[in-house]
Amino acid sequence: MINNKLKKTYTINELKGAFLFLLPLILFLLLFILIPIVGTFITSGFRDVSFLEKKFIFFDNYKTLFSDSVFWHDFGFTVVFVIVSVSLEMLLGISFALLLNQYLPFRGLLRAVVLIPWAIPVAISARIWELIYNYHYGLANYLIMQLGISKEPINWLGTNIGAFFALVLSDAWKTTPFVTIILLTGLQAIPKEIHNQAKVDRAHFFQRFYKITLPLLKPVIVVALLFRTIDGLRIFDLIYVLTHGGPGGSTSSISLYGYKYFLSGDFGYGSAISVSLFIVAFALSLLYIKIGRFGKEIL
Amino acid sequence: MKEEKVKIIITLTVAVFMVLFCLVPFIYMVVTSLSKNPDFLSLQSSFGWTFGNYKNIFTARTLHFFEYLRNSIIVSGVSAVVAVFIASLAAYSITRLSLPAKSFILLFTLSMSMFPQISLVGYLFSLMTKLGWINTYPALIFPYIAWILPLSLWILVSYFMQLPKELDKAAIVDGCSTWQILYRVILPVAKPGLFSAALLAFIFAFNEFMFALMFTTDYTARTIPVGIALFQGLHGEIPWGNIMAAATITTIPIVILVLIFQKNIIQGLTRGAVKG
Repeated sequence: MINNKLKKTYTINELKGAFLFLLPLILFLLLFILIPIVGTFITSGFRDVSFLEKKFIFFDNYKTLFSDSVFWHDFGFTVVFVIVSVSLEMLLGISFALLLNQYLPFRGLLRAVVLIPWAIPVAISARIWELIYNYHYGLANYLIMQLGISKEPINWLGTNIGAFFALVLSDAWKTTPFVTIILLTGLQAIPKEIHNQAKVDRAHFFQRFYKITLPLLKPVIVVALLFRTIDGLRIFDLIYVLTHGGPGGSTSSISLYGYKYFLSGDFGYGSAISVSLFIVAFALSLLYIKIGRFGKEIL
Repeated sequence: MKEEKVKIIITLTVAVFMVLFCLVPFIYMVVTSLSKNPDFLSLQSSFGWTFGNYKNIFTARTLHFFEYLRNSIIVSGVSAVVAVFIASLAAYSITRLSLPAKSFILLFTLSMSMFPQISLVGYLFSLMTKLGWINTYPALIFPYIAWILPLSLWILVSYFMQLPKELDKAAIVDGCSTWQILYRVILPVAKPGLFSAALLAFIFAFNEFMFALMFTTDYTARTIPVGIALFQGLHGEIPWGNIMAAATITTIPIVILVLIFQKNIIQGLTRGAVKG
C-alpha cells in the first residue's frame, strides 16, 4: 500500500529526512544486537580464555564442540524439551482459544485470567514452581497424594524424568497464554457464516472443528508453532532458576551450557556454543518470516 | 438438544480447568506469603496467618528487596519510554515518508527479536566491562532498548497505518515540517498505540533475566527477577515465606495492569509478535 509502484525515485532530501527518523533505531540495533552477533562469530574463532593470551585458532572450538558429548546431550535435551512442551502448549492453547471464542459470561475476565501467567517474570514464577515441586511439602505432591494419583510422593526435581516434566509443566503454564491469544485472534478471523451453514447441514461440533475450524486455523497454528519453537530453543531463565540444569546436568539447555562457559571466562568456546544455537534459531526465523507472510500483511 | 448438553459440559470443564491451571500457582504464592510455615501442606505443620514475611522483606536490609524493585522500575521504565520514542520515529518514517526497502527494514527488525540472547551476551559483557558499566543502570538500559525495539516498532507501524493520510495532508497545507507533523499531529492521535507499545515494552524489560544476571553484581543495579531468583537464607535454608511475599508484591501490580489493560495487551501481542 505504501510502496507505490509508480514512484520509484526519491529525491535526496526526502531520503535524508526519512533516514534521519530511522537512524536511532538502526544505531541501537546495530550497536547492541548486530555487532554483538558478529563479535560472537569472531570470538568463536579464538582461544579467548581469561588470563590466557588471545589466539586465533580457526575452527578448533567447533572441532571440540562436535566431539563434546555434553554439548550434544544439551542439544538433544533442548530439542526434546521443545517438542514435548510446545506440543502440550499447542494442545492447551487450542482448547483455551476455542473456549474463549464462544459467547461466555465473564469472557473479558477469563481472557485476562489467561494472560496472568504470561505477565509474571519467568524467574519469579520459577521460584513459585520450585516450592510447588518440593518433595516434602510442595503443592504438587500434596495434590497427587490427596487425589490418589500416586501413593508415593514424586521426586520432581531430584530425578531426571521428574525434573524434565517439572520444566515442561512450568513452561506450559508460562507460555500457553501467548499461544491462546494468537490462536484466538485466528479463530476470530473465521467468518461465523461458515459455522452457521455447517450447523444447518447438521454437522456435529467435533466434525465442524476437524473439517472447518482446524483447516482454516492451520496458517495461524503454524505461525504460533514456529514462534514458540524458536522461543523454546533459547530457554534459559526457567532452567537456571528451577533445576539449574540438574540433577547431574540432565536438564541443561544449550543456552545454559553456553552461559557456564562465559561465566568461567572461556569466551571462545562459549561463543562457539552460542553460534550453533544462533544458526538453528536464525534458520527457523527465516522460515517463520516467510511462512508468516508479514510483509504482505502490513505493506 | 443432546449436542447442546455435551457442549455445555465440555465448555464448563475446560473453563474450570483453565482458571485453575492459570491461577493455582499464583494463589499458592499469595497464600504461602501469608503463612508462618511454608510447609503448611504437610501433616506435621499448621498454617498460621502472619504479615511477618511482608514486614521482613521491607525491614531486613540484607535482602535488598526494595533496591531490586526500584532498579527494575527505573530500568524498565526508562527503556520502555526511550524504545517507544525511537520506534515511533522509525514507524513514522516507514509508514509516512518516502523510503526504499520498507518491508526489508521491518522484516530485518523482526528477525532480530528472534535471536537467542546467549549469542549476544558474551560480546556485550566484554563491552560493558570495557566501558566500566558493569553493575550500573546503562549496562541494562541500552541493551534493553535494542531488545524491545522490534516489538515496539511492529506495534506502532500497524497502528500508524490505520491513521488516515488526510491528517498529514491537512498539516502540510498548514505549513508543518515533517517533524511538526509527527509531534503535533500523529503522536497525539496515536496515544492509545503508544501506550500499548510502552506497556508491552515495560513488561518485556521487567521480565528480562539473562542480561540482568550477567551485567550486574549486586543490589546497586540488579533487577527484581534476578534478585528473587538468587534470594538465599543465611543458613542455606530457603526463605520461602520471604520469597513469596517479595514475589507477591512484585507481581500484584503487573496482574492489576493486565486486568485493566487486557485489550491493549492482546492487540499489542498479536500485532507485534504474530501477523497470521
